[in-house]
Amino acid sequence: MTKVPELKPTRGDALVAAAVLLLAAVCALRFWTPMAADAGAPEVVVAVGGEEVERLPLRGAERRYTNNGYTVHVVVTDSGVRVADADCPTRDCVRTGAISRAGQSIVCLPARITVTLVGGGGGGYDAVAG
Amino acid sequence: MTTERLTRCAVLAALALAFSYLESMFPLPLPLPGVKLGLANIVTVFALYALGAAEAAAILLVRVLLGAMFAGNATALLYSLLGGFSALLAMLLLRRCAPLSVYGVSVGGAAAHNCGQIGAALLLLGSAAPLAYLPALLLVSLFTGALTGFIAALLFRAMANTNLMKP
Ligand SMILES: [Zn+2]
Repeated sequence: MTKVPELKPTRGDALVAAAVLLLAAVCALRFWTPMAADAGAPEVVVAVGGEEVERLPLRGAERRYTNNGYTVHVVVTDSGVRVADADCPTRDCVRTGAISRAGQSIVCLPARITVTLVGGGGGGYDAVAG
Repeated sequence: MTTERLTRCAVLAALALAFSYLESMFPLPLPLPGVKLGLANIVTVFALYALGAAEAAAILLVRVLLGAMFAGNATALLYSLLGGFSALLAMLLLRRCAPLSVYGVSVGGAAAHNCGQIGAALLLLGSAAPLAYLPALLLVSLFTGALTGFIAALLFRAMANTNLMKP
């Protein structure tokens, strides 16, 4: 099995890179546009453990969600949504900061909670998942 | 497996572990904790050519298990397991494709690594939300793949005159 590989870039390598680029573009179209094209008022979709539990309009509101022993404090404003506080170990959800565009999401992996901003008009990220 | 071969595997596994520790100090600015650049793939690329597929898989498994033990983190285990073995599988397939250099194989491996990690995030979260990060991670994999290929090429040039490349 032992052999020294070709060490200089070849045309085949360019094909591999092009394939990766194409895949990235296809994924971007597939997962981003349906939400961007969604008309209507934006909504905040909260999912706990993969199940959607609540949809909130973009206006002042505060919610606390507890799952897996961790509590996530979600603050909704007119312009977006953020996780203001959480007692999960990594606190990546808090460090994500505020999201304001449809398609963005905040993920708290330890609590298995996702906060996604969708373009309204129904669908949500389930439509995005296909 | 001879003692000499076993020793090479052990040294490479230790090196891979060092790489994964190194990259754990530079977390990606993504709200998906556990997603890594995949620098430890350098070792997988090298082992795949220098030692063979079985050895590369063994080194990868040791690195993933020991890495998770040191991190004390079960979610990290799933990320590196799916990422690492997706990369190995992709590189095994690409290596068979004719006119690919170590760069093409590494880029394919890096892309598969990041797809595997998104797969792990999908499993852990039970939601499609992590898919939104796949395009960005695929773009990143072009750079990490090229970097991995470059370093692997340097290694192979340096090793060309030693007997390490002989079975
Ligand atoms: Zn969190």
